[in-house]
Amino acid sequence: MAGNVPIQFSTVPQKQPAGTSDPKWVQWLLITIALAFLGLFLFLPLITVFIQAFAKGVNVYIEAITNPEALSAIKLTILVALIAIPLNAIFGIASAWAITKFQFRGKNILITLIDLPFAVSPVIAGLVFILLFGSRGLFGEWLFDNDIKIVFAVPGIVLATIFVTFPFVSRELIPLMQAQGTAEEEASITLGASGWKTFWYVTLPNIKWALLYGMILCNARAIGEFGAVSVVSGHIRGLTNTMPLHIEILYGEYQFAAAFAVASLMSLMAIFTLIIKSFLEWKAKKQISTEI
Amino acid sequence: MSIVIENVSKSFGSFQALKDINLEIQTGELVALLGPSGSGKTSLLRIIAGLESANQGFIYFDKENITTITAKERKVGFVFQHYALFRHMTVFENIAYGLKVRPRNERPKKKDIEAKVYELLELVKLKDLAKRYPSQLSGGQRQRVALARALAVEPKVLLLDEPFGALDAKVRKELRRWLRRLHDEFHISSIFVTHDQEEALDVADKIVVMNQGKIEQIGTPNEVYENPQTPFVYDFLGNVNLFKGRLNNGKLLHGNTVTNVPDGDPSETREAIGYARPHDINISRVKSDEEEVKVSIAHLHIVGPSVQIELIREDTKEYLEAELPKEHYTKLNLKVGEKVFVKPKQLKVFIPEDYMI
Repeated sequence: MAGNVPIQFSTVPQKQPAGTSDPKWVQWLLITIALAFLGLFLFLPLITVFIQAFAKGVNVYIEAITNPEALSAIKLTILVALIAIPLNAIFGIASAWAITKFQFRGKNILITLIDLPFAVSPVIAGLVFILLFGSRGLFGEWLFDNDIKIVFAVPGIVLATIFVTFPFVSRELIPLMQAQGTAEEEASITLGASGWKTFWYVTLPNIKWALLYGMILCNARAIGEFGAVSVVSGHIRGLTNTMPLHIEILYGEYQFAAAFAVASLMSLMAIFTLIIKSFLEWKAKKQISTEI
Repeated sequence: MSIVIENVSKSFGSFQALKDINLEIQTGELVALLGPSGSGKTSLLRIIAGLESANQGFIYFDKENITTITAKERKVGFVFQHYALFRHMTVFENIAYGLKVRPRNERPKKKDIEAKVYELLELVKLKDLAKRYPSQLSGGQRQRVALARALAVEPKVLLLDEPFGALDAKVRKELRRWLRRLHDEFHISSIFVTHDQEEALDVADKIVVMNQGKIEQIGTPNEVYENPQTPFVYDFLGNVNLFKGRLNNGKLLHGNTVTNVPDGDPSETREAIGYARPHDINISRVKSDEEEVKVSIAHLHIVGPSVQIELIREDTKEYLEAELPKEHYTKLNLKVGEKVFVKPKQLKVFIPEDYMI
């Protein structure tokens, strides 16, 4: 073999600096700043939550998350999420469907209204329900006469949670459904499929990843919602306390270890949600790449 | 199935897409709706399919009024411009879809569906690709899947929206020949929309030329090409030379030349335009006739069996285009810059409706 191949005949590609590459020290500086920020504002607090949670030993931790009030808060949080997510999924599909597949008057108003919960403070959202369903509210008297409790009871918490989480699903679906257009649905109809079958066999499979992604975001917010729920819940221990409210009460009573124990549980839920979210993003990306 | 379209109008907001369309299509015909974009051809096709509703007028399939029947019930096969294949289904599932979604009591047995799908896959020559997804197919293959899917429900009418629009030139030609053969075999009444005049002339039994929401002319490819009824049709179906001038006593005065117009009204005196196709322009080296126009040769395109010649009139400085068979061109031995004489073999004169100077 010839030992010395002139570089212009070499088959090894010559390395050419990319046009967008920065000097080494700039790269390192940017990476260091980003990592320092992440460490200081995200990682350190998360570690602190777990350290504080176990500060008084494992027994205190277990006691904190298994006492009846904590259990009731966990149950209520999960119950609220389980009601809010499917309802918002249905609402999200319906609104995205209406907005992307039909032309009608007031469409822009509807799009703006969907964003409303993002724009208003959760506290105001809570207050709205008090004004509507509270004892001096618009429907208060009628509700009292019929012995229906909404405010300071579970239905109020569910309503407030639905309110603050309802943009998530439609926000995910609208751009996707706009991009996909209506041709596949039209094809399905000309082939003799009913509207329901078209939705079930054609539309739903095309949007399923975005729909799940929206539901995951909705779930994260439903579990963590504090402001709106705090206003309507009434903070009745063992009855209308969700996990965030329970944590606040414990903290207010200087039961730091217990507060952090419940907080660590919520953090775990959040991390789990993030993992599912990343998985769905990866799945959705795969779906898109096979379409090109 | 015969199709009758009666007084159909359609507007989108203030834009009138279709103005009082009347059209009859016989059983087994292959009809092309030809026109530029915005001429309303796709709207008409979608109204026939029931995907859009007409503001006015009626549609009959075999003399039965189906104007108010939904797209789902019309049982037409529709092939979409960008195929609209179900992206999450395989080729097999796409083709089986129309049979699978039928109500339980009308649905064929699973085995029969499978047999039907394989029969269609055989027909469109995609048997090996049954398990593929649409994203894994080429444009031409997708188009054939779309066609097989539409044929699976055994429609009486096949509607195709720009069926070959998104394909490259060679595949397009192959596919349209194939569509023609397929049509001859099955004899389904078919309507396809196109903006490509060559495609329409090549495939269709009958061409409907549309412009600005109206039908300009209906006829066989030969009729519309050889005998256009309106200036638009003349212009749209191939290249054309304009001879702008004045009509007087059965003669058209253009530049300083006079051409006899046998079919013109001799009593009229008014502005008019004569139309002649490039291959209807005669070129000679010597002036032998009063009707010949003196021109100079500006450019020669010598590719393929015929030669395109760009000419400039000596009198009006307007451009003309002539087309000659290559042997004729060689005999004449033409060169750029030479002065020659031309005469339209046939000149069709139209009087502009809103002629302005």
